[in-house]
Amino acid sequence: MGRVFLEHLGGARLFSCANCYAFLTNRKHLKSDRFTGATGPAFLFDKVVNLTYSEMQDREMLTGHHVVRDVFCKNCESMLGWFYEFASAENQRYKEGHVILEKALVVETEGLHSETA
Amino acid sequence: MTLNHGAFIDILASWEDPHYGGASPPPRKKLKRTQGGVGCDESCSSGGGKTEESLGGTASMQHQTEVTNGASVPQLNGSSDGGSAVTVNGVKDETKKALKLDPINRDMVRLIGQHLANLGFQSTVEQLMAESGCRLDHPEARRFKSSVVEGDWQAAEAALLELQSMLNNTTHLTEMRFLILEQKYMELLERGDDIGALNCLRGEISPLDHNISRVHRLSSLIFYNNPAELKKATNWLGSGPESHMALMERLSAYLPPSVMLPPRRLERLVIQSVQHQVATCEFHNTSIEPLLKVDNLEGLSLSDVVVSSSCLLTDHHCGKEHFPSTCLYTVTEHMDEVLVAAFSPNGRYLATAGKDFSLLIWNVDNTTLKISKRHCLDGHNFSIVFLSWSHDSTKIIACMHEDASELIVWDAERGKQVCKVSDSTSDSLTCACWYKDNERFVCGGLRGQFYLCNLEGAVLERWEGVRVQSLAVHADGKTVLASDTHRRIRGYQLETVQDYSILQEDHGIMTFSLDTTGRFALLNVTTQGLHLWDLNSRTLVRRFRGATQKHCTIHSCFGGINQDFIASGSEDHKVYIWHRNQELPVAVLSGHQLPVNCVTWNPVQPSMLVSVSDDRTIRIWGPSQTNRLNRDADAASTSGGLSDGDDDEPDSPRASNFQFPHSLISGLDISSH
Repeated sequence: MGRVFLEHLGGARLFSCANCYAFLTNRKHLKSDRFTGATGPAFLFDKVVNLTYSEMQDREMLTGHHVVRDVFCKNCESMLGWFYEFASAENQRYKEGHVILEKALVVETEGLHSETA
Repeated sequence: MTLNHGAFIDILASWEDPHYGGASPPPRKKLKRTQGGVGCDESCSSGGGKTEESLGGTASMQHQTEVTNGASVPQLNGSSDGGSAVTVNGVKDETKKALKLDPINRDMVRLIGQHLANLGFQSTVEQLMAESGCRLDHPEARRFKSSVVEGDWQAAEAALLELQSMLNNTTHLTEMRFLILEQKYMELLERGDDIGALNCLRGEISPLDHNISRVHRLSSLIFYNNPAELKKATNWLGSGPESHMALMERLSAYLPPSVMLPPRRLERLVIQSVQHQVATCEFHNTSIEPLLKVDNLEGLSLSDVVVSSSCLLTDHHCGKEHFPSTCLYTVTEHMDEVLVAAFSPNGRYLATAGKDFSLLIWNVDNTTLKISKRHCLDGHNFSIVFLSWSHDSTKIIACMHEDASELIVWDAERGKQVCKVSDSTSDSLTCACWYKDNERFVCGGLRGQFYLCNLEGAVLERWEGVRVQSLAVHADGKTVLASDTHRRIRGYQLETVQDYSILQEDHGIMTFSLDTTGRFALLNVTTQGLHLWDLNSRTLVRRFRGATQKHCTIHSCFGGINQDFIASGSEDHKVYIWHRNQELPVAVLSGHQLPVNCVTWNPVQPSMLVSVSDDRTIRIWGPSQTNRLNRDADAASTSGGLSDGDDDEPDSPRASNFQFPHSLISGLDISSH
């Protein structure tokens, strides 16, 4: 695997992989915390780094049919949530390109003092 | 070139008529009259595509014809006007009038004539000029030149005034007069004729009102007591033909080429051509052409070029004889993935390290390209992800995985630990670089550490708020360049607490390295290949395509002679090598079974490259086996008497793709994926 190259977006409040603490995103990119995933509450982000993506899958959700990909931590490969490729319902289109991270699978920590977000 | 003006000049002068040969009948008529001997005239008269050889051939044949016919050779004895027809056995011979040259070929003939004249083929040149209707130099220019070479400044000035109308620029005339008078003044000084020199300065140089500062300098020279001091102070060659020729070269720069050819023009053209060929040679990796890198052609002679390019008759081309194109052998000493490798700056050591927590220091034999284990340095609790050699090649920093919170400095020669930097358990120190003094180094990591440390492991300075991914100390010795998580490289001066932006990429910068001049930075950019930046102008110079790098940190390096090449590992299990001037790789080396994490080019042996990979191996790349064997055999048979040039055998085919030999030292076969 070599040494996995990890990116970092900075920010005051950071979300990282709960398993390996690899940086994922920050609070600036948090769009909604009112989602529900397989393990319970989940967050919707417009930008998350250090992910790998599964093949596309069709998934029926409470809000209708979606085409999604599961997302995994690039560093430790634990599953973290999913990514919206396509939403059939027009009023769900805003989620396309966004990522769901399950609250139980990420941890929130402090960033550097000089970083603002 | 020796001068033979007088009658000969008159001959040439008659060629000034642009309708030279206009009065003569068309060539075909003449052809009918001459039998056999001048059969090639037809081709000569038929167009501009003639080469010098056939022209020369024509000349000699023409000469023979005339001699056998019992006629004199008018061009040589100068008794004829040279332009009109010659009667041979009652038949009008107008061969020389038959040659019609277009302007390009007239220039070619002049160039060839000049070269022949430099070689001393004076009569051939005269024959050639007479026959081609060209002239080397304008007659006035000739007179001017001979006066200068003879040091007859009076005559030179007079001739120069004659040339006045042909100069493009009147300031050139002043400059030329100034140069001549300067030489005259210097020679008077050298002779000790201070009064004459003063008169020259006052009466001739000053009235020109040209280059006043130089005049002041000249006037100060009068205080030197003896010629030796004078020459030393001014770097002047003294009086004499050498000095006069040098002056003439400077003067001729102001004369239009139609009036006088620039000195050694053909030679210059050939040298430029060879330089260009070397510059565009894909595999050029030998040290025998430093001359050709010189921009200034002054003092560079054709023979220098011939030595280095081995032949003028074919285009310069290097095969892969000096190029790391073949896997020489594989080393399987590491127990886990090898992440980094680095040659020491003196080329005597190689360091490799990776996920087995151990740092191996190897001795490198730069003649056989063999490596042998020197030290196995343990004591790391995490994977080693980065290595940095001190500039004196005595110490090496091992940076570990970001969870390690410390780094270790080793004495690479004795295999002893020098110090640890361990400031806080939450630190991450994943990259480092030495200052020029080999006493201090900077280190940093993704968690926001950016320290300047000394050899006791103490933190001298710290910079807050930047997540450092890769570091380099600039050639100025003060500025630290750091790539960070915001996809940019910034410059930091830790002592004076100054920082500034240098470049911004659109994708993550995995690693970067600087070339020896410190002017160029090579970046491995996530999913974007390699980017070469000019740090002075802060612009992207070139993108190098081919290598894949998105998941893991891959290292690249500059290398080869003059650091003309760039090499990088790749996730597709290959090593890529580019010439700095080309976007596409010149070589792709297959062999590793898994992604190649790092490559390092031997800084003193430009044909040796080392790559390390997830497949736990170190591969040593060098010139192909057959060439090495040949070279060894040559060296043995002649006890080193042969020059490197013997390796440049013309039998090596133009290598656009590599063919790997099937027999390798190691048991591992090179597979192509």
